[in-house]
Amino acid sequence: MKILLKAFLLTAPINFVYAAEGQKSAGLPQMDIATFPSQLFWLVITFSLLYLFMWKFVIPRLGATIEERKDKISNDINDADNLNTEATDILKKYDEQMANASQESNEIITNSKKAMLDHLETLKKENEEKVNSLISESQAKIKAQQEKSKIEIRNATLDTVKAIVSRYIENIPSDEEINKKLN
Amino acid sequence: MAADNPIDPIHQFEISKIADIQLGGIDISFTNSSLFMVFALAATMTLFVIGLSKKSIIPNRMQMLSELSYNFIANMLRDQVGDQGRVYFPFIFSLFMFIFFCNFIGLIPYTFTVTSHLIVTFAFAGLIFIAVTIIGFVKNGLGYLRIFYPSGIPIFLAPLIVPIEIISYLSKPISLSVRLCANMLAGHSILKIFAGFIVMLGFLGFAPLVFLVVLYALETLIAALQAYIFTILTCIYLNDALHPDH
Repeated sequence: MKILLKAFLLTAPINFVYAAEGQKSAGLPQMDIATFPSQLFWLVITFSLLYLFMWKFVIPRLGATIEERKDKISNDINDADNLNTEATDILKKYDEQMANASQESNEIITNSKKAMLDHLETLKKENEEKVNSLISESQAKIKAQQEKSKIEIRNATLDTVKAIVSRYIENIPSDEEINKKLN
Repeated sequence: MAADNPIDPIHQFEISKIADIQLGGIDISFTNSSLFMVFALAATMTLFVIGLSKKSIIPNRMQMLSELSYNFIANMLRDQVGDQGRVYFPFIFSLFMFIFFCNFIGLIPYTFTVTSHLIVTFAFAGLIFIAVTIIGFVKNGLGYLRIFYPSGIPIFLAPLIVPIEIISYLSKPISLSVRLCANMLAGHSILKIFAGFIVMLGFLGFAPLVFLVVLYALETLIAALQAYIFTILTCIYLNDALHPDH
């Protein structure tokens, strides 16, 4: 490629020389001055038209479209940011409420536990009292029974002693005398 | 003689009249060159008219294409010149699209490459050179002359540096125009030469054919690249005119 380029560049001056000598067909067409006015004329016309087209039509419209898109994207990003902060706030609130609720439920649990224990305690006490009263009642009953039995035994003994004594002696001792001896 | 040769690589650059027009003794005939200028104009217009027919937030292919080219040139101008360059955007954009389409249409066989003619590229380069010089003096006054004496150069080097800078400044339009023209000329000539080899070698012609395909791909790249280089150099010259201190 480079060699060919060199070869071409080496031959180019020869072509230029031909052109300078007025051999139109042999020289480089680039060196044909007669075509310059036409080329320049049409270049000015076409390029001016292109410039006008770009300046008046393409650039304002394309610029507007690109601007619009940029605005839309930044707006969307803003919206997304706002929604994100909103969502974060909601999450925060939710967390707070959750924390409050769990605290409340903990309180309720401790309170009810306490109440339950209290109730249990009172029930226990009541029962104890009842049991105690029952015990003392029973004890009193037993005591009374014992007293009663004692007296009955004494009376029975008395009667027995009286019967035995009356068989052997005529003089029956009085109850007080027997009681004195028994004690 | 040369024009009769079917594989003459220069034949494709010849200008032939389509309609003979004379204006005050000057030949301004409508030629094949003019026709392909009109084609480049038509191609650009077609791209943008179709691309802009439905302005939607989500672009279709043609709109995407027109927006891509718009953003490409707008970014290039912003990067090189900054916000001050906004005024020159229509010109830069038109310049790029015109050269781009001229280069690309020229790649189609039997077409004519407008930008392969030095007078066309020199007309652009000369216009840019004059415009940039005027802009430089209008924006900076005589301070624009500072570009010939870069800051930080010791004074005793000035007699050496200043002429070099002046020469390099004056040669800008020449290098700008010759670069584009020579690239188009050389590339198209080589394509034509290899196409001729295919015909000449007969059955063995597949070898240059393979090479031609590769070369054609390279030329496609060059067509785009040269349009880009021409435009970005214009932006750089414009930046020099607006900010001569850098």
